[in-house]
Amino acid sequence: MEGIKTTAVFFSNSSRGDSDLIDIPEIINYTEKLIKVNSVWLQDDINIYSPELVSRKIRKDNIRRIVIAGQNPGMYKSLFAKAIVLAGFSPDDVILASFPEHGALIKSDTEWAKAIVACAVNNIPFENATLTEEISVNPNTLVIGGGIAGIQASLEIAASKNKVYLVEKSGTIGGHMAMFDKTFPTLDCAACILTPKMVEVGQHQYIELMTYSEVKEIRGIPGDYKVKILKKARRMSLSKCIGCGVCAEKCPVKTPSEFDSKTTLRKAAYIPFPQAVPNKYMIDESVCTYVASGKCGICAKVCPVPGCINLDEKDEIVEVNVGNIIVAIGFKTFDASKFEQFGYGRFPNVLTSLELERLINASGPTGGKIARRIQDKKGNWIFSPEEVYSPKSVAIIHCIGSRDENHNKYCSKVCCMYSLKLAHLLKEKLPDSEINEYYIDIRAYGKGYEEFYNRIKEEGVNIIRGRPAKVEMYGNELIVRCEDIEGAAMIEQKVDMVILAVGTEPAADARDIAGKLGISVDRDGWFNELNYIGDPVSTLSSGIMIAGVCQGPKDIPDSVAQASAAASRVLQSISKGTIRKSVKTLSVEQIEKRSQELSKILEEKL
Amino acid sequence: MSQRVNLDLKKELFLYGAKEWNQCFQCGNCTATCHTTENGFFFPRKTVRQVLMGLKKSLQTNIDPWLCTYCGDCSRTCPRDANPAEMMMSIRRYLISVYDWTGISKLFYKSKTLEVTSIIVLSIIVMVLYLIYTTFPSGDSSQWIGPDGGALINKMAPWQTIHLGDWLMAGALVFLVITNIFYMWYKIIYDDKSLKVGFIDYLKPFSKLVKLINPDVKYAKCDEKKLTTYWVLHAFLALSYGTLFAIIVFFLDWFQTDTVYPFLHPQRILGYIATIGLTVGIIYFYTNRTLKNMENSKYSHFTDWTFLILLFFTTLTGILLHVFRIYGLPQLTYVTYMLHLMVLVPMLVIEVPFSKWSHMIYRPFALYFAHLKKMVIEKSKTIPHQPQYN
Repeated sequence: MEGIKTTAVFFSNSSRGDSDLIDIPEIINYTEKLIKVNSVWLQDDINIYSPELVSRKIRKDNIRRIVIAGQNPGMYKSLFAKAIVLAGFSPDDVILASFPEHGALIKSDTEWAKAIVACAVNNIPFENATLTEEISVNPNTLVIGGGIAGIQASLEIAASKNKVYLVEKSGTIGGHMAMFDKTFPTLDCAACILTPKMVEVGQHQYIELMTYSEVKEIRGIPGDYKVKILKKARRMSLSKCIGCGVCAEKCPVKTPSEFDSKTTLRKAAYIPFPQAVPNKYMIDESVCTYVASGKCGICAKVCPVPGCINLDEKDEIVEVNVGNIIVAIGFKTFDASKFEQFGYGRFPNVLTSLELERLINASGPTGGKIARRIQDKKGNWIFSPEEVYSPKSVAIIHCIGSRDENHNKYCSKVCCMYSLKLAHLLKEKLPDSEINEYYIDIRAYGKGYEEFYNRIKEEGVNIIRGRPAKVEMYGNELIVRCEDIEGAAMIEQKVDMVILAVGTEPAADARDIAGKLGISVDRDGWFNELNYIGDPVSTLSSGIMIAGVCQGPKDIPDSVAQASAAASRVLQSISKGTIRKSVKTLSVEQIEKRSQELSKILEEKL
Repeated sequence: MSQRVNLDLKKELFLYGAKEWNQCFQCGNCTATCHTTENGFFFPRKTVRQVLMGLKKSLQTNIDPWLCTYCGDCSRTCPRDANPAEMMMSIRRYLISVYDWTGISKLFYKSKTLEVTSIIVLSIIVMVLYLIYTTFPSGDSSQWIGPDGGALINKMAPWQTIHLGDWLMAGALVFLVITNIFYMWYKIIYDDKSLKVGFIDYLKPFSKLVKLINPDVKYAKCDEKKLTTYWVLHAFLALSYGTLFAIIVFFLDWFQTDTVYPFLHPQRILGYIATIGLTVGIIYFYTNRTLKNMENSKYSHFTDWTFLILLFFTTLTGILLHVFRIYGLPQLTYVTYMLHLMVLVPMLVIEVPFSKWSHMIYRPFALYFAHLKKMVIEKSKTIPHQPQYN
């Protein structure tokens, strides 16, 4: 019978020798045992530059079908197609078994990769062999993360009158976007786009907002998840607080404000920012002296609403039933103090981009005035609101923590554009100042982005190619040492302020949440999507979607688009009423058997 | 200067060490970190660029790699992990092979087998010559042993004979080294038509060079802190080596005596100090290269090891020779004398003109030429374009 022992499986070298990646030797062992496999070829056995030699091998080994397996099998398709034609057979019998295309990326996916090879050997599309049965779906949805992606996904689903539980770790939704002053490339005010959406989330009758909460445990299967949510004690009643702010005024404890990127201080009784949703005060239990030692309690005494503040409130656990989960937990910025040579943390006027973002913002520490830190009488470095201290020259250094073998190898995608935006905003507020951008490559890749870059250049910002090696401080002056590659000069430039364009990193609890959800993360810590090109919102669990930066660095428009896409996936199953069981319920043996059955049917038909 | 692009330059340089050329994305971090960089001398990025673009002629006339002190600051902070410092080391190896007009150096750098074979063949030749010399002309070996049973080396191998051999060999080596340096000058200064070097210019760079001998000046701006130890031990090793070399070539009659002098005799003291210098140096460089605890010892080319191993065996046989002679073991002394010659001769013949040893000669001249070039360029202000900042 045709089909027995006529297939060769070729493994490319691209994924070998890396312990994080799929265990190729194990797959080779497995492949050799498959019924139809005649021989297994490794890249070292094959002259990949000579189709003639390969075709000779095909004829010698009596091969009719070639499966190319690996990270990037498309690279070798033309070689084997040529070779098989030279051997006198049809190029249709060259079949690709791409591991990443079907969600096999890391070592724990090795079993999955075996199934991918098995399907390819039987010439059955992987999707067909892994069709699972449909089960009914709970129409409620859980969204984890209240940044712009989580907000967008919640609103999309709630607009179709389906219940959404939005869980946010901090005291307010809004995420990083709420901290930004403007968005690129349109220079719209970020808050003007975000706050209406936030308010809508807060008021929507189909959205149950749970701020200051964390997902504790997830059980169940797609279509029917039971989720335990830890609602941390705000110690102030959400229903009774009128947002007057007396508690914060009288609170004696001060701590750096997360919202202002730690450039200002807030109280232990606080509201994250004036436009927070829900617009209610809360107590930060990590610094409150009452929580720590039982002394103080001033806020409860001054609060005008009786029974609003309950300093002894305890955390509670709520359980909800949902059918689908959207994960949009976002990112954290790179810790710039890891770069000793730039002196972040040592030199007061070396700021991160997020700090500058707050400094520029009208609700920021200086009310929107660009100021540098000067030493006050007590010796503390504070932002001086006086005009004379506004910086005359600013250096913006790109790629801090991104594209760096010693830190994060990936490009954070947004830093070039936000640095250009910051340069524009600085130039707008300080027209006489000199703004220098030091870049390695400018990545202005989106709609209107290249035009934005050109516009910034025309505005008189010095855009210098070269990565600075050092920032040094002499007196109050900072000196940036850099090679200007295009201008062929060494620069040692005096500046008043240095901005480090920090990259993005997976959120601190990303691996933890991935573990709870049962989805995988890649080696950098971003969540693995099912297929990067064709299916960037799904995961191996059919009920769990990912959206926003937690899947990989991206800007606001992309995050919003991906959130909408994730929502549409959820709505698909809700409106159908059913959802497929997770493909993960299938074992390799089952998939292999199924693909053999299907291929038998196919061969009988022929 | 128009020149043909050589696409295989990068591959050729693989044989000299560094393989990370493709990693570089030309960000300029290495140049900005490096304290030897000045306007007009964009180093090491520009040198790497020449390799990437295949500008063979520019690379061959490039003097910048010799300015590098291999402090490793650039490699430590390189965002691409491309090891610019090791790239510079590889280019220095390449340049040694370029300056050698005979082309033999190139063969030794490219092939480990050839280098090892040559060493072994030379050793065997030396052994055969030694055996012939000791067996036939002088015949009676009984007179090589003194009345007290000790060895009488000068009876067997009179210092005059050894001197003759030394001078023949040294003459050949000096000829090779001098012509190589002349070729280096030709490539770097003479061939560069943009440079107008007057006679008086040749006298100027000396003041700058004197400053560079001081390690505190040399490494002042480098972040690596272990470099002073490195410099001291390297200098000690080089001085010891130089002293012994000078003694053997010019003052062997004073050094190779049949009388065993008391311990505190200058001959013995000098010999001991130089031996300590060599031993400590060899141990230090060996541990550094094995432990890879400094940037400049992380990557070892086989020529680095060959030199170190030959030097080690030369020192070892030298020490043994001395011990056997003092304790009156004539047979062993003569065998060790042969072994000593068997390592010493290949080390000098192969390493001095063609391999790692030659950096001892090239480095000062290269520094001299580099500063000469810099001064001439600064004088004529041929730096193309300088944007103004602040």
